[in-house]
This record gives sequence, structure tokens and C-alpha cells, in this order.
Amino acid sequence: MANERGANLTITEEFAEKVKRANFMDRVMRVAPIMVLAVLILVFSCVCGFHVFLAPSNLVAILKQLAIPLCVAMGLTYVIMIGSIDLSINGVVGMTGSLAGVFVANEVNNLNLGLFGIALAILSGVAVGLLIGLVHVYLRAPSFMVSLSFMYVCQGIARLSYHSRILKITDKTMLWASGASFLGIPFITWMALIMFILCLLIQEYTAFGRHVYAVGTNEAIPRAVGVNVNWVKVRVFMLAGLMSGVAGVLGAIRLGIGQVSIGDNQMFPAQAAVVIGGTALAGGKGGVQRTLIGVLIMTILKNGLLMCNVSPYITDGVQGLIILLCVILTCEHGKTVISK
Amino acid sequence: MKKLAALVLALMLVLSCAAFAEVDYANLKEFVIDPAEIPQEKLDTTLYLAVSIRGLENPYIATIKDGMDMFAEYLDSIGQKYETQVLDSGGDSAKEVQNMENFAAKADGNAIAYADPNENTIALSLAEAMAESGGYVGTAWNKEDDVSPMDLDNWVIHTSPDNTVGGYNTAKALFEAIGGEGEVFCIEGMLTNAASIGRVAGFNKALEEYPNITVAVDDTANWDTTEALTLVETNLTKYPDVKGIWCANDNMATGALQALDAVGKKGEVKVVGFDANTDIVQAIADGDATATISSNGYLQGGYTLAICYAVWTGLLDVEKIPENYRIFATPSLLITSENVEEYMSAAPVYDFSHIYFCKDDD
Repeated sequence: MANERGANLTITEEFAEKVKRANFMDRVMRVAPIMVLAVLILVFSCVCGFHVFLAPSNLVAILKQLAIPLCVAMGLTYVIMIGSIDLSINGVVGMTGSLAGVFVANEVNNLNLGLFGIALAILSGVAVGLLIGLVHVYLRAPSFMVSLSFMYVCQGIARLSYHSRILKITDKTMLWASGASFLGIPFITWMALIMFILCLLIQEYTAFGRHVYAVGTNEAIPRAVGVNVNWVKVRVFMLAGLMSGVAGVLGAIRLGIGQVSIGDNQMFPAQAAVVIGGTALAGGKGGVQRTLIGVLIMTILKNGLLMCNVSPYITDGVQGLIILLCVILTCEHGKTVISK
Repeated sequence: MKKLAALVLALMLVLSCAAFAEVDYANLKEFVIDPAEIPQEKLDTTLYLAVSIRGLENPYIATIKDGMDMFAEYLDSIGQKYETQVLDSGGDSAKEVQNMENFAAKADGNAIAYADPNENTIALSLAEAMAESGGYVGTAWNKEDDVSPMDLDNWVIHTSPDNTVGGYNTAKALFEAIGGEGEVFCIEGMLTNAASIGRVAGFNKALEEYPNITVAVDDTANWDTTEALTLVETNLTKYPDVKGIWCANDNMATGALQALDAVGKKGEVKVVGFDANTDIVQAIADGDATATISSNGYLQGGYTLAICYAVWTGLLDVEKIPENYRIFATPSLLITSENVEEYMSAAPVYDFSHIYFCKDDD
């Protein structure tokens, strides 16, 4: 009897210890990305000089460079939280960026749909997200294959949409948006921040937001209590499509041109930002507020390397190594990662 | 009757041989395709035409395809059966070689192609891919120094506008525009790409002649508009006094102009590019950009195919073509505010029967 009691106590103690350790690790995981960010800022400020790196003009440049990756990475955060992956980003951003150029006033065609055209371009992103979601969920195809296929489909649509004629945008609203700023923050960054708040509100205060975590942790549980898990997944991909769509439009505003290359090289920085921020690839953990830190790290890393005149022959390599280091420092270890 | 036919045939053969013999290989510049000399059997064979390129979204590359279409119109006019195809590598070297293999296999020897090798190293692979089935290819821009069309009969020509001269000319135009002194940015293309290396060499050559010019930033934006925008945006905050930006192509010049526009310095900071993209040509006309170079994709695409066509039909014997007609420079044009109006008003019209019109006179 006594033995049994003793054993019970040990198990309880062990459990408490485990919980304590898990909580501690969780706190570390939350703080680590912020520490990395602080270190990066400190290092770049020292190397380039505080007055150069933290000059208002460079802070504005960083804010501009932040907008598009932030949008993309937020959509991706949701997808990763349900334990899936979205590799369609380069294509969807390129497509919506091109279509935004095609639909508004430009030097090539006479469609001139104005704001309606912009909405249409973003909706095309949502539509692609819907298709990816439906194929993934109802035809039971792995999300990484489905979304990768759609990347190529979207790039094809983008190229077709403007036939390699340079789509210089002449739409007054778009031109205004590229130069406008409020309280010193550029317009495109405001847009990205509004989308961020929207994503945060959805995540924290809606049933859908809670279902996303539940589906990512263990699908069987929400299914057992009557949540339409499939529909949650489809909506997550639609949200990712929406965010990529907004990113594409912001890219077109930023460049003043609609072209497929707006989407080039968007995917890896976004994936890295989500993971560095601390959203688990296995799903069920993380959030867009963490991704914001991840995106800041990625943006400042790129900006800082440019600022410090690091030789272009080694920039990519250095960037890769630093990202690897960040991932090792901030990622949760020992978890089996399977992308569904 | 049979004898008569044989006699006529023999006569035709002799005549045609005589016609071929007339080709003056030392002075091919004067060579003209005479449709009457092309065997009917060749005209009735479907000839497969292709341009092997990376990304039609690049306006310069799109003009290469347009050059193929213009040459196809010429083939229509002489009654040649053909099919055209665009082999788009999307910037992937392995894919470009694979595309060429598939294309050559499909055409079974009746193929001619223009190829812009994605990297120096794959020029020979592309030619070998074509050689396997017996078609003919002409390459442009990139190849390794130690290989040449002289190594392989199916690799008819390798041409390139002189990048170093072009880069030198745009750099000089830029330095003159800023009064010969001050800070400039040098934005390179892909670091391993021969075109970028040549253009940057030209930039450096011009730099030696202007001791008061300093290079504040020398970096790559990988030919990409967005990358160039980010690069210039970031460096503008560090070097607010920059006077000029030299770009190795127009896509990057577009990004540089956009970054300048955002801080209200468009037109104030001088920008030069390379490739004569429509928007940069317009920017030169508007006074926002200083200069660019037209490499003339229409001419490159169309005439490379025309020369390969002359070989495929048998009008030219590739083994007899001298080296200076197999490796040569194609003409390019410096566009500045002085000649931009003229450039914009004149659409190119070519007579593809004069196949060596595309050879720049030394």
C-alpha cells in the first residue's frame, strides 16, 4: 500500500515537473525570437553605425520592405497551424500582382476597373485558395503537392494575362498609394498592419480561430464535437489566398508595375518567418503575433546585410546560415514534423 | 521518256551544284537566300523552329520570340512548311537542356533553333542536344570561352552584342550626365552570367576615365525589378547624395526608378539601363532615365534562325563557313534623349534573305 502511494506521489511529482519544464520551455520559445531580433538590430547598428541603420529613412525603408512578406506570412501561419503547408505563394502573389496591373488603368489595355479591379485581383487569390483547399480536403491530396501545382498554374495565368508587355500602372489611386504615408508609416505598411490586426482578431476572438488550433492539435477531437473540420481547412486556405492576394496588390503598388516576378522569392522568407516566429510545423501551436516577429527578423536581416555592403557573392550564404541559426535557436526540438 | 527525265534531273543537279558553288564563303555578308534554289522536298518538309529562352515576361526576351515570328512570315512568303515553338526554361539550366533534347527528338533533324543559354556552361550541352537528332542551333550571349561552334557542325553560330562596349557606353553616358563627378551605384545582374560580367567590365573601363566618380555601392539584384527596388531603397538612406545609378539591365533600372520616385528623386538622380525595355525607353523620352542599349532581340532571334535555315536547306555548307561568320557580334544601339524619338517611331522591318545583315561590321 505504502509502496503504491509512494509510486503515485512520484508520478504526480514527475508530472508536475514535466509541466513546469514545458511551461519554462514555452516561455523561452516566446522570448527567443524577440532576443534574436534585438541582437540583429544591435549588431547591424554597431556595424553600420546607429545613425545610419536607425535613420528615419532606413526605418521607412524597412517598413516598406516588411509589408509584403508580412501579409504572405500571416496567411501561411494559419495553414501551418492546421499542420498543412502552402507552397503556392510565389504563384498566387505573382498572379494577383499581375492581375491588379491588368485590371486597373495601365499603359497596355483599357479595362480601367479601378478599385473594383483591385478587389477582383484579390478575389482571384481567394479563389485559388478555395480550389487548393477543396482539392486537398475532398480529393485527399497532400497540401504541399496541390499547392505546388497551383503555384505553376498561377504563374501561367499571370504570364498569359499581360503577354510580357510591361504593365506600367497609371491608375491614380495606385500611384497615390505608392507614395502615401500616414504618421510616417507608408500606406502599404498600413494595409499590411490592418490585415495583421484582422488576422489576430480572427485568431483570438472567433470560433474559427479556436477551431484552427483544435484541428492542428488533433483533428479527431473537434470532429467528435461536431466541428466541420474539412470546412475549417478549406477556409484556412481561402484566408491564405486572400493574404497572398493582398500581398500581390501591395507588390504592384510598390513596383508601379504588374508582373509575375512580384511573387518571386516570397515563399522561403515567409516559411522561415513563420518557423522562426515559433509556429510549430506540426500544427496546433503559434500565431500571427509570433509571425510578426519572424517577419521583422527576416526583413531586418535582408536590409542589414544590404546596408553593411556585405559582398553579394556571400550574402545568400550568410543569410541562409543566420536563418538556420535562428531556426535552431527558436524552433521546438524533438517533435515529429509531418505536413498533412 | 525515262532517259529524258534522267537527263533533266541530271541537268538540274548540275545546275544546282553550280548554283551552290557560287557561294563566296569569304564574303558571306553578300549572301542572299534565293528561294528558287531551295529543293521542293525541303519546302514540303515541316521544319520546326524554336527559340530557347528564359521567361517571356522579360520584354527583351519577348522580342526574340517576335523575331522568330517575323522570320516565320518570311518562310510563309517563300512557301516553306513550318511549326514554331517557344522553349521556356524559366531560368532553369537543366530544364533548358531538357527542353532542347525533347524538341530535337520531336523534330527528328528538321529543326532549327535560337538558344540563349541560361549560363555559359550549358551552351555546348544545348548544341549537343540538337546535334543528336541532326538539327541546327545558333546560340547567343553566353558560352564558355573554350568551346565554340567550330567544334560541332550542328552548332552553326554564336553571336552576342558586345556587352563590354554596351556597358562602357551606358556608363559613359551616365558619368557625362552627372558632370563627371560624384557617387554612383553599380547594380550588377546574375554574378555568373557572361552578359552581366561583360557589362560590368565595360562600366569599370569607363570608371577609369573618370577619376572623380566613386562607386558607393556595387551589388547584384539578379536582373530582378523587386530586388533592385529594395537594393536602391535601402542604399538611398545610406548614400543620400548619390548622383547616378548604373544598372546592368532595364528590369533593374525600372526598380531603381521606382525607388527614386518614392523619395521624389526621379529625374534628379540619373539612371541608365540595358536592353531597351519599353518603359525605360519611355522614361528616357520623359527625361527620367538617361540611357539604355537596344540589343535588338528581333534581329537576334530572326537572323539566327535565318542562318540556320540556310544551312538546313543546304544552301550553305556549315563546314565551309569561316570562323568570323560563325562567331560574331550583332549590332546594338545606345539610346539617349538625342535619338529616342527616332527609335520609338521606327518599327524594325527586315529582309531575312540577307542572312548576314545581322553581323556587326568590324
